Amino acid sequence: MRLYVYCLAEGVDRLHEAVRGVSDAEVRIVEMEEDLSALVSVYRSDDFQVSRKNALAHHEVVRSITEQTTPLPTRFGTVVTIEQLRNYVSTHHQAIKAKLAHVRGGVEMNVRMIHSIAAADISQQPENAGGPGTAFLLEKRREILRDEAGAAQKGQLSAWLREKLGDLIKEEKISITPSETVILARADHLISRADVQEYRTKMAKAVEERPEIRFMVSGPWPPYSFANIELEFSSQFGVS
Amino acid sequence: MSFSPENPLSAEPEIETSHADEFVEQLRCVTDSLPSRINIDAQSVEQGLAKLVLTLIEFIRRLLEKQAVRRMEGGDLSPEQIEELGLALMRLEAKLLELKTQFGLEGEDLNLDLGPIGRLI
Amino acid sequence: MSDFDQIIVGEEWENTDLSLLETLDHVLNRGLVIAGEITIAVADIDLIFVGLNVMVSSVETANEVLRRRQATE
Repeated sequence: MRLYVYCLAEGVDRLHEAVRGVSDAEVRIVEMEEDLSALVSVYRSDDFQVSRKNALAHHEVVRSITEQTTPLPTRFGTVVTIEQLRNYVSTHHQAIKAKLAHVRGGVEMNVRMIHSIAAADISQQPENAGGPGTAFLLEKRREILRDEAGAAQKGQLSAWLREKLGDLIKEEKISITPSETVILARADHLISRADVQEYRTKMAKAVEERPEIRFMVSGPWPPYSFANIELEFSSQFGVS
Repeated sequence: MSFSPENPLSAEPEIETSHADEFVEQLRCVTDSLPSRINIDAQSVEQGLAKLVLTLIEFIRRLLEKQAVRRMEGGDLSPEQIEELGLALMRLEAKLLELKTQFGLEGEDLNLDLGPIGRLI
Repeated sequence: MSDFDQIIVGEEWENTDLSLLETLDHVLNRGLVIAGEITIAVADIDLIFVGLNVMVSSVETANEVLRRRQATE
C-alpha cells in the first residue's frame, strides 16, 4: 500500500474536517518520531491523475494545517510506502527539524518580474569563415557570457530587494531566466506571517519606482519554496 | 475554512499585478515545462546510478567546453585547432545525449545537489 | 484526457486563471522532495550519498501529455 504525502509537520493535533485529499481521498495523520507527523492519504494508482483538481486538493490540504502549524509542503505527486516515509524521516530527522524551525511562523511571498531588454548586451561575433566546430564554440561562448550576465543580475536584484524590504526577508531565493528579448526574474521570500501587509505595502512602493519593469506579487503561500531539504552532504562528511 | 486574522494563509493567496496577460503567458511556459520524474521501481536504481555517472561526465564535459572557449579567446590557437576542438566537443555533447537516451534519461536535468555547497553544474 | 491538459490550452484568461497557474507552479515545481537514497561505499566506508527523486508513476502521464502536445505543435 502506498501513501500520497502532502506535508511534514510538527504539533499537529487534528485535521480540518471538510478537507479531502487527491482523488477525493480521506486525509490522515501518520505520526513519526517525536512530534513529527505526515499528512497522507491512501494512494490508488488507477484513480490518480495529474489534474487541476488534484493539484488544488494538494494545496488545500497543506493550507488546512496552517491554522495549527507551519508545515513543510511536499511536491505534488509524492508517493511512498510507509517504510520509505519512516526511513526518510528517520534518516533526515535533524534536517527536517531544522527546516521546520526555520519556517515556523513563516509564509512565502513571490515577486515575478518581466524586463524587456532593448538590444543584446553581448556583441555578436561576425560570422567568419570557420566551420561547424568553430560555430559551436562561439555559441558556447555566448552562453557562458549570458550565464555570467545572469549571475550579475541576480546580485543586483537581490541587493535592490534587500534595500526595499529590509529585515522582512528571512530567506530569499532568486532565479533569473534571460532570453533574447526579456529578462524574467523571480524572487521567493520567506517572511513572518505578521509581516504580510508590510511586505505588500513596501513592494507596492518599489513597483512604482521601476516603471520599466512589470511586476507580479503573489502570496502568502505555505513555504513550498523553502521546504526542500538538500542532501545532507555536510553532516555526512563534516564539510561546512 | 474559517478566516482567522492571525493566519494570513487562511485566505486564498492574493495576486497583485498590472500586467496579468503577460504573466499568464510566462506562467504557461512554467507549467508547460514540468521537470522529468524518475520512477523509483527496482529498474530505476540502475537509472539512478546511470544518472550519477552521466552527471559527473556532464560536469567534466562542461569544464572542457569552458576551457576550450577560454583558450579560443586567449588567441593561442590556430583556426584549424579551434575547428578541431569545436568538432570534438560537439561530438562529445552528442554522445552524452545519446547515452542519456539509452538510459531513458532524455529529459533529465543532470545535476547534483551538494547541499550547502550548491549544485554541481 | 486529464483536466491538466484542458486548462493549459484553455481560451479565456481572467485573473482567476493567473492564480490557478501560480498555485500549480507552487505545487508542481516546488515543495519537499522525499528522496530515496544510494550510498556508494568503498571498503565499507560510505563515500557518496545521493538522493533520488521518488515520484509517482502517474506523474509520467504529465510527461506524456506534454510530449504529445509538443509533438503536435
